[in-house]
Formats: sequence, structure tokens, C-alpha cells
Amino acid sequence: MKAELEVKNEVKYKNKKKNTLSEQRRAYLMIAPSIIIIVVVALYPVFKSFWYSLFDLRLNHPTKDSTHLNYKIDLERYFNNYDLVSGALKRAVSETTGETKDKVMEANKKFLDISNTILSEKEVASKEKKVREIVFKFQPVENDKLKFAKISKSTAENAIQTYSDIMNSLSSLTIEGDGKKDIEKAAGLSEELRDSIIKPNFVGFGNYKYYAKDKSFWSSLGNTFYFTLISVAIELTLGILVAMIMNKTFKGRGVVRAAILIPWAIPTVVSAKMWKFLLDGQFGIVAHLLQKFHLVNDAGWFLSTHSGAAFSIISIDVWKTTPYMALMLLAGLQSIDTTLYEASAVDGATKPQQFFKITLPLLKPTILVSLLFRTLDAFRMFDLVFVLTGGGKGTETISTYAYKTMFAQMEFGRGSTLSVIVFICVALISIAYIKILDTDITGKR
Amino acid sequence: MENKKSQIGFYIFIAIYLIIIIFPFYWEIVTSIKTPDEIFSSFRFWPKQITADSYVRVFTQRPFGIFLKNSFVIAALTTLVAIVFGSIAAYAIARLKFKGKSIVLGLVLAVSMFPQIATLSPIYMFMRKAGLRDTYAGLIIPYTAFALPLAIWNLTTFFKEIPFELEEAAKIDGASPFQAFSKVILPLTAPGTFTTAILVFIGAWNEYLFALTINTKDIRKTVPVAISMFEGQYTIPWGEVAAATVVVTVPLIIMVLIFQKRIVSGLTSGAVKG
Repeated sequence: MKAELEVKNEVKYKNKKKNTLSEQRRAYLMIAPSIIIIVVVALYPVFKSFWYSLFDLRLNHPTKDSTHLNYKIDLERYFNNYDLVSGALKRAVSETTGETKDKVMEANKKFLDISNTILSEKEVASKEKKVREIVFKFQPVENDKLKFAKISKSTAENAIQTYSDIMNSLSSLTIEGDGKKDIEKAAGLSEELRDSIIKPNFVGFGNYKYYAKDKSFWSSLGNTFYFTLISVAIELTLGILVAMIMNKTFKGRGVVRAAILIPWAIPTVVSAKMWKFLLDGQFGIVAHLLQKFHLVNDAGWFLSTHSGAAFSIISIDVWKTTPYMALMLLAGLQSIDTTLYEASAVDGATKPQQFFKITLPLLKPTILVSLLFRTLDAFRMFDLVFVLTGGGKGTETISTYAYKTMFAQMEFGRGSTLSVIVFICVALISIAYIKILDTDITGKR
Repeated sequence: MENKKSQIGFYIFIAIYLIIIIFPFYWEIVTSIKTPDEIFSSFRFWPKQITADSYVRVFTQRPFGIFLKNSFVIAALTTLVAIVFGSIAAYAIARLKFKGKSIVLGLVLAVSMFPQIATLSPIYMFMRKAGLRDTYAGLIIPYTAFALPLAIWNLTTFFKEIPFELEEAAKIDGASPFQAFSKVILPLTAPGTFTTAILVFIGAWNEYLFALTINTKDIRKTVPVAISMFEGQYTIPWGEVAAATVVVTVPLIIMVLIFQKRIVSGLTSGAVKG
């Protein structure tokens, strides 16, 4: 009897275990699609950015437009030109005479030697046939694994030197008539062969060292911190004020709440363009009115001076995001038990006392969370500055600087370095806030 | 007496605040119906002569209709994908027991704080290589990845509010887990799901950095990029900028006015409860 019960219990236990196991499997299946997307499209690129930041990566440079840890050869480029050069040299040997012929023969010998060395490199030998087939059909080699072959450092350096020599000795020949065309062709295409050899563009922390000494970088980082600090501080102060007002019941509260959502909802680009017009030195109504009432000396101050542009950026950010701050804080205020105020009023507390002793302490977690979100948002500020000043007038932020480095100068290695620095700053800011929040919560317990 | 005075001050403060918020939009509307001459010569608060020329030019001299379509398709598909995958994941997080839940939540929260620019160069290089530049997918993919954390976070909060007993009852009545989810949970969480959808949609509609770099051809350009690049030969065509602004802002304002309560609850749910 007892044994039977035990067996039953065991079965029950096993069933339960099986249930939770299948529940667990189901849960993993359900979260899998989201997690895969997040990891592949958001998390992995951050590591990739870091990887890129270790290279001298330039999208507008033929041999630096991808990452190369080792010496390589671009087989597509090599075999596109190889047969042409070898043919031109062969013909040139038969077309020329005397001293010129000796020179050409010497070049031809060098060419054959170095070609043999390259073609006997293991990876080149294994890929030669396939690449030649594709090149023969005048098609691009799309697979990077096939396109590039690793070669040894000595071969690579030897090849670069030899092709340069061939180029130089052939171009120095001055002949007319027979062979001229072929010699010129061989010289020109030897350059192509030389450029198909790729030096590794791994620079380690070179890009980071570069920025440590770069004045534009430090000033953009300074600007970013400055804009973030000032605008978030103003937004918090105004946000608390607006939230406390909205927490009262008054006529038209619904209207106010709807209205303050509008700046939050419209695209930052649109609000930046809108304010660019309002603050325009010639046609901007706000700039015009402020000048008329002698609040500024010159309507052009807002967008054409450093201090004016910085002021405008901060003001527009405050205009756009104070509502968001206020709404977050309002939700926090509404969760405070109103009897606390009544009780303290009975005890004779004044309004300021209530604010500092009840409201602020109870609102603190909400304040910290909203501050965290806002700080991170402000720190990666891009749209507003890019549209309003384009980073000019000394208002470059680190994001606009990174964007320009990547997409104006095509320096993806350096641009990635800047974006990694943004990431590190954001991570440090988050960790600092979370630490404060943590001690705040555990402190209370 | 004292009370009345402070009441007046209170309303004056609110009035000033409202004017600061509303005036820029008012001015854009007025500018959009002024003639170019008037825009560049006076600061009148109401146009002398009303004209729809700016609107006509926005849609005839620029492919603004295409930009609107692009923005709409990209934002709508992003919302759809993010909500479908997000609600499935949120359900598992809110309802099922599994190992590593806190790691998943931590990852989701961390990614929601990622600066997009830190992912820009690899994503751009990938899109370039895969031939996905100037396509819908080129933007929908990164937008979805960055919308998912917000969607999962918000939806998890909403799912947790649904009483567990309802689902149990459905199961006892013979419903399969999937039926319990689709017939009981989904309808109950529809309001929360809808709120999250609005937030995701607005986020995708407003995005600039990826749109600016990945989709540069007119055929797949989105509205924010197009408006930021409105340039004339000599001056910025402010009338057209204003008209375009009105066209993209009015739907958003209407949406905000209709759904303001939901939006506010969606925005604040994470901050206060989390």
C-alpha cells in the first residue's frame, strides 16, 4: 500500500516535471523569434562595430573596403588582368629589338617568376580555376570567400615590389611604332596587378589613439555632454512643474494633456525644420518678435552664432520633450497616496514642506527612470542638430560627428570607433543610474 | 481673494505654456497657405491671400505621395511584425515558467537603451552587400529589432494584468493552449496591444538615422528624410516645408487626440510599475 502510494507520487512528480519541461520548451519556442531578431540585428552589430573600429576601413578605397587581418590577393582583379599582361608582354618581346627587347625580356621573366610564386600559394591555387571561370564570363565574383585568397607576407611584399619594378622599367622605355601599344598596356595593367595585392588594414586600437588626440572629437563629446546636462536639467524642473499643475483638477485639463502630447508625437526632424524657420534670422517670426521686444540684439543670433545655436538646440529639445517628462512624472504623482498630504496638513506641514518631505522622496524612483530615458535619448541626439545646424557653429555632437565620418568621408573604421565610444558612454550612464536606483530601492527596505 | 489671484496666475501659466506649444503649429499652417511673396516679405498672422500652391507643389514637383506611401508601408509592416513576435514573446514571459527569464528581460531592457548609431555601420554594410538598400526590408528589419524591446516590455506588463484564472478556466473547458491564448488572452489584451502598436508605429514613422543612410533614393525615401532635404535653388522653400509639415503632422495630431489616454498609459506603464 505504502509502496504503491510512493510509486504513484513518483509518477505524479515525473508528470509534473514533464509538464514544466514542455512548458519551458514552449516558452523558448515563443520567445525565440524575438530574441533571434534582437540578437542578430541589434546586439551582434554592436560587436561588429567594435570589430570594424579596429580596422582602417574605407568604403571609397578599393583595397580597404572590407576588413583584412592578413595579406590577401583580390583574385577577381588579378585574373581580370593577368592574361592581358602576359599576352601583351609576350607580343612585346617579339615586336621589339635590341636593348629594348632585353629590357622587355627581363620584365617578362620577372613577371613569370612572380606569377609562379603567387599561383603556387595554396589558397590561390585552390581558387584559381573557379575564379577564372567566373571572370571569363565577365561576371563579378560575388562570394568574398572565393574572391580573396590569403597569401604570405613575403609573397605579397615581393609582388608589390616586382609589379612596381615592371611598371617603372616598361614606362621608362621610349620607343615608337611596333610594340609601343603592348608595352604601354603591360605597364598600365601591371599597376592593376600590384593593386590586387591587399595589405592587412588591421590597426588595433590605432583609431582610438587617433581620437584621443583629435580636437574635433573632444569638442563634440563636450558638446554632447553639455547639451544633455543642460536640457535634461531644464526638462526635469519644468516637467515637475507641469506635472504638478496637471495633477490638479481644473477646467480644460484634458485639452492641456492632449496638447502637450503633440510635440512628443511629431518627428524630431519636422520640429527641427519648423523651428529652423521660426528662428530664421530673416524670415523667422519668433526671432523677429524676440528682437522687436529687445530680448536679443540681432534676429540672426539664433542660428548663425555659436551661443545662439547652442541655445536654440537646447530650447527646441526642451520644447519637444518636456511634455514626455511631465507625463511620466504625472503618472508617478498619481500613484502617491493623497491621504499622506491630508495627514501632514493636519500636523501643520506647509506646502513646501510637503513637497520636499513627501512628494520628492516618493517620486524619486519615477524621476530616476524618466531621467535615465531622457539622458540616453539626449546623449544620442542626432536628428535635431543635423537638421538645425548640420553640426556647424560649434554644435557638433558625437553622433553627427560619427555620421559624417562614415557617410561624408566614408571612413567606416573611424566612424565605427566613434559609435563604439557612444555605446560605451551610454552603457556607463545606464550603469550609473541603475546603481543609484538599486541603492535607492534596497536602502528603503 | 488670495485664492482667486493664484487661480488667475495658474491659468495664465497654463495659457502661456499652451501658446508656446501650439503656436509653432499654427504658424506652419498659416505659412503653408501664404504666397511665397508674403512668406518672404511680412510677418502677418493671417495671410492676405490664401493659396494652396505650396500643397500643389509639394505633390507635383516632388514625389511626396511616394514618400508618404513609403513611410506608411514601412511603419505599418514594422508594427505588424513587432506586435506579432512581441506579443508571443511577452505571453511566454508573463505566463510561462522557464529558466533564464531574467536574462531575457535584461537583454530586452539593455537593447532598448542601445544607441542606434552603435549598430549603424554593420547594418549599413550588410544592407549594401545584400542589395537591401532602397527597399522596404532595408528599414523594416532594423526598425523591428529596435521596436521589439519596447513592444515586449509593454505587452508583458499588459499580459500580467489579465487574471490567470481566466486562462485556466478556458483550459478546463477543453481549450488548447493556443485556443486559450487566441480566444481568451488576445481579446482581453487588445487595448494594451493597440496602445503598444501606436507607440511602435509612431517610433517607426519618425525614425531618421537609418532612413537617412539606408534608403537614399526617392523611390524608397521616407517622409522625415524627404522633409529634412527640402532645399530650393537659392533659399529653403519654407512654404513647401510648411505644407509638407502640415500633411505629416495632422494625421499624427488626430491620432494623438483620439488615443491620448492610451498613449499616456503606454508611455508611463514601464516607468512607474517597472
